[in-house]
Amino acid sequence: MNNIRSEKVASWFFLSPILFIHFFVIAFPSILSLALCFTDWNGFGKIQFIGFQNFQELFSDRVFKKAVWHNLIWTIFFLTVPIAVALLGAFVLTGVKRFQLLYRFIFFFPYILASVVNCLIWKYLFHPKYGLNTFFDDLGITFFENSLLTQKETSLLAVGFVDAWHFWGFLVVIYITAMYQVDESLYEAAEIEGASKWQKFRYVTFPSIRPMFVFSILIIMIWSVPAFDYVYILTGGGPAYSSEVLANYLHFQAFRNMNVGYASAIGALMFVYVFIITGLFGLLRKLDWEI
Amino acid sequence: MFIPKLTTLAIVSTLATASIPAIGYAKTVVTWWNYSNEGSGLNAALTEDIQDAFNASQDEIELKIFFKGEDVNEPTRTALLAGAGPDIITSSGSTYVRAYYDGGFLKSLEPYSQKYGWKDKILPWAYNLGVFGNEFYSFPQNYESMIYFYNKTLFEENGWELPTNLNEYESLAQKAKEQNIFPFAYGSSGWQPTHEHLVGNYFNTYAGPDNVYKALIGEKKWTDKEFVDALELLKKHMLDGYWSGSLEKYYANDWDGFSAQITNREAAMMQIGTWGFEIMEGFADKKDDWGWSPLPVLSDFAGNPNYQLSIGGTMSINAASKHPDAAAKVLNWIISDKNRVLEFTAKRNYGEWLLPLKFETSDFSGSVDQRIRDYLVDFAAVTGAGDYGYTTWTFYPSQAGTHIWKDMESVWANDISVSEFLEEQQALWDKARAANELIPVGER
Amino acid sequence: MFFISRLKKFPIANHVILSILALIIILPVTILLFNSVKPKAEIGINPLGFPHEMRFQNYSDAFVKANYAKVFFNSFILVVGTLFLCIPLSGAAAFSLAVMKSGKRLTPLVGLYLLVGLSIPAQLYILPLFILWKFLHLNNSFLGLIIIYTALNAPFAVFLIRSYMLQLPQELFEAARIEGASNIQLFIKIAVPLSWPVFLTSGLIVALAVWNEFLFAVTFIYDDSIKPISTILFAFSDRFKNDYALISASAVMMALPMIILFVLFQRNFIVGLTSGSMKS
Repeated sequence: MNNIRSEKVASWFFLSPILFIHFFVIAFPSILSLALCFTDWNGFGKIQFIGFQNFQELFSDRVFKKAVWHNLIWTIFFLTVPIAVALLGAFVLTGVKRFQLLYRFIFFFPYILASVVNCLIWKYLFHPKYGLNTFFDDLGITFFENSLLTQKETSLLAVGFVDAWHFWGFLVVIYITAMYQVDESLYEAAEIEGASKWQKFRYVTFPSIRPMFVFSILIIMIWSVPAFDYVYILTGGGPAYSSEVLANYLHFQAFRNMNVGYASAIGALMFVYVFIITGLFGLLRKLDWEI
Repeated sequence: MFIPKLTTLAIVSTLATASIPAIGYAKTVVTWWNYSNEGSGLNAALTEDIQDAFNASQDEIELKIFFKGEDVNEPTRTALLAGAGPDIITSSGSTYVRAYYDGGFLKSLEPYSQKYGWKDKILPWAYNLGVFGNEFYSFPQNYESMIYFYNKTLFEENGWELPTNLNEYESLAQKAKEQNIFPFAYGSSGWQPTHEHLVGNYFNTYAGPDNVYKALIGEKKWTDKEFVDALELLKKHMLDGYWSGSLEKYYANDWDGFSAQITNREAAMMQIGTWGFEIMEGFADKKDDWGWSPLPVLSDFAGNPNYQLSIGGTMSINAASKHPDAAAKVLNWIISDKNRVLEFTAKRNYGEWLLPLKFETSDFSGSVDQRIRDYLVDFAAVTGAGDYGYTTWTFYPSQAGTHIWKDMESVWANDISVSEFLEEQQALWDKARAANELIPVGER
Repeated sequence: MFFISRLKKFPIANHVILSILALIIILPVTILLFNSVKPKAEIGINPLGFPHEMRFQNYSDAFVKANYAKVFFNSFILVVGTLFLCIPLSGAAAFSLAVMKSGKRLTPLVGLYLLVGLSIPAQLYILPLFILWKFLHLNNSFLGLIIIYTALNAPFAVFLIRSYMLQLPQELFEAARIEGASNIQLFIKIAVPLSWPVFLTSGLIVALAVWNEFLFAVTFIYDDSIKPISTILFAFSDRFKNDYALISASAVMMALPMIILFVLFQRNFIVGLTSGSMKS
């Protein structure tokens, strides 16, 4: 009995330093901030309790609704396009021997660059006067005639594209490392049965990397909630809120609009959403979905 | 071996500490946070002509200017909130001063103003913008207004005249477009609040400054017909490609872009703040010549042509400052010499650091561009006669002031109608009025 | 026959796909590289192509203007400091979660906590944190920022190291336990030496994150003398002016140290990820 207790103490002894720092830097100030969601604090003056008024306003705020919708699109986009391209890239990579390290390095390369640098590159490329337009215009293709970042129809996906361009190489690395652990004999067996490439992927590769795949889905769903950098730097959420996302709207309300209480309410709702996602994953795991 | 070394060290360090007072006895250090504009050389100019010049002018105070990035308001606000920050606070306008004042972060400058006679040196409307609860709190760092610039040579070649009413305005735009020239150069890339310049122009030249004034003080609603019509007109012109050809191109166009448009005949005119004088320097190596004029009045009820009043930037003293007297000395040094102010702002092409002092024609040296002097003198005469309007970024409370440009995009995108937009505006004004967060307007 | 076996070693279809994917990354980066050596005036005329005229002076200009030696050094301190604080502590936590019995039982709880922590937008807590830091006199100092970076990077480091340690043969620990080794000895003498690849990998990821971080850097540091490198790009572009040549040169300089680091450690980096991947 004593042994178990001391074991418990010891495990906390190892855990607590980093958890303490994490709590102190992130959780504690977040809780303080969330407490502000029932106030109308402007960041300076006196703090006044206003009950659920911020939430009532939020539910009729057209920009907030847009931002929620955009976060959803953002998540779906990242769950599909980068994952599909990364799976393709990783699978094809396992089939080559030559230049493999080089390819891997190239795919991972944008992940090494800072978001400001990546945004600099793509803002330039989308710029009608300097970028891709100067090349495609000569070919008679007018797709880049206006910056994709300044049209309300394309801005969100253009920002998503730049972020994904930087991010997908990371997925390639984690998928390929998982793929290398697939039992070689399974492929040989598939070979003997005359399986096509797609069949090999579908029946051998994919099931073997499933834990990693599910992990990547969870990480993407979590990471797309506070998505901020690329939106903030590339479009600021515009034009006409067409690329507005929750974190950027929160930042705008807190820092530009001096509406700290309202911003905290947005944060509180983002919080609820994350709990639902992680809870869902936990539930699926309990239901033996092997994830 | 060890001991002698230690002795040397001790001697050296004693000498070092002893020599500090000899080099310069403890000066009072006054810190100042300013926004940074490295590219155009503002940082270097401020360091040299204000900081170093002030430090050389006396030996009690050492002024230190720090550049806090493009947006000085965000770091300042965070620092003030934490009880820190510099002695001299700069902000980008009255909205921030109001918020700092409400938070109790500003020291009243009233005693200094009386001591140094600031009220007599500063233009009354600008001085009044810094008065809260009958006390002076903030010092205008710059004044500006919206005007027209145009390619004079291009106008002469085509026999074009500057418009004086809506009909002429629209037909001139049409004529320019027929020649594949944009009526106006402009764009918002790099500075999203650019839209508010256009909104302000249409409010002040179509709805008219009298109506704007009434709405500012609450005697009229922003949802009234004059304002709706003004913005419907702006929307029509924007979607018609008046600025850089199309809404999308306007969004993508940045400072370098529209500077090139106006100097390269891609655009005929530009309605921009007086900081646009800097752009006109680009004509120096071109065959064309440029001119300026006040904004034309677009409706028959908007009164005479007017200049919109605006403060671009303020200076105040931090309530937590340990050396407010020294900080006030710095401020007084800055405005006490009109020539120095004029020399400095000339270097900034009158776009920055044009302190709203009571300049007279005799204050200007012969080297000042005739057109710029004309503007400065005309501004004083016209506004003195009561023909002035109101810029959004000086007279709007914070949330309405952000909404006016940010959500204008939603109008142009047809997400909301002009009426819905103005209803949102009015609601934000009502909210600010109820919370007593309005900016002092001054009686008209 | 020889030809066919060669072909098999060099599957053309695969290389075509991979080359296309690689070009999508290489071309934009190359344009940045080109622009970084063009004279400013050339960018308007020749925005995408190979420079007509090489102006390497852009680099020395940017180096001087951004006070590059200084900001480089500042960033270096931040990276090293964060590594020294974050990696050992994350390793200890990972050890607890992966190897110790009662620690294993805590995994779902701690994991949920860290996952939720990952999803909180920084904008939500940055203001209260700033006030807290002011109160503790941690503002405007390397230490204050190092503590923040440690917290920000902890979740990822803990997850990664834990999944690696799960793969270590548990019998080793059992045997040592029977011989009377304490948990600290287990950690230092067995877990750490066996897990060095993952320490290296997580160290690389943390170093990269710290090097590139700017939101906290611009908020918490207000003395120019201790500004890190990630904040300097802003010095080159502002509301009025965009000097693409100079910005490009400084962007390349900013990225270079990390690129070198990853080239040097690429193999180790993959090894660290590989073994950890399966039991995430």
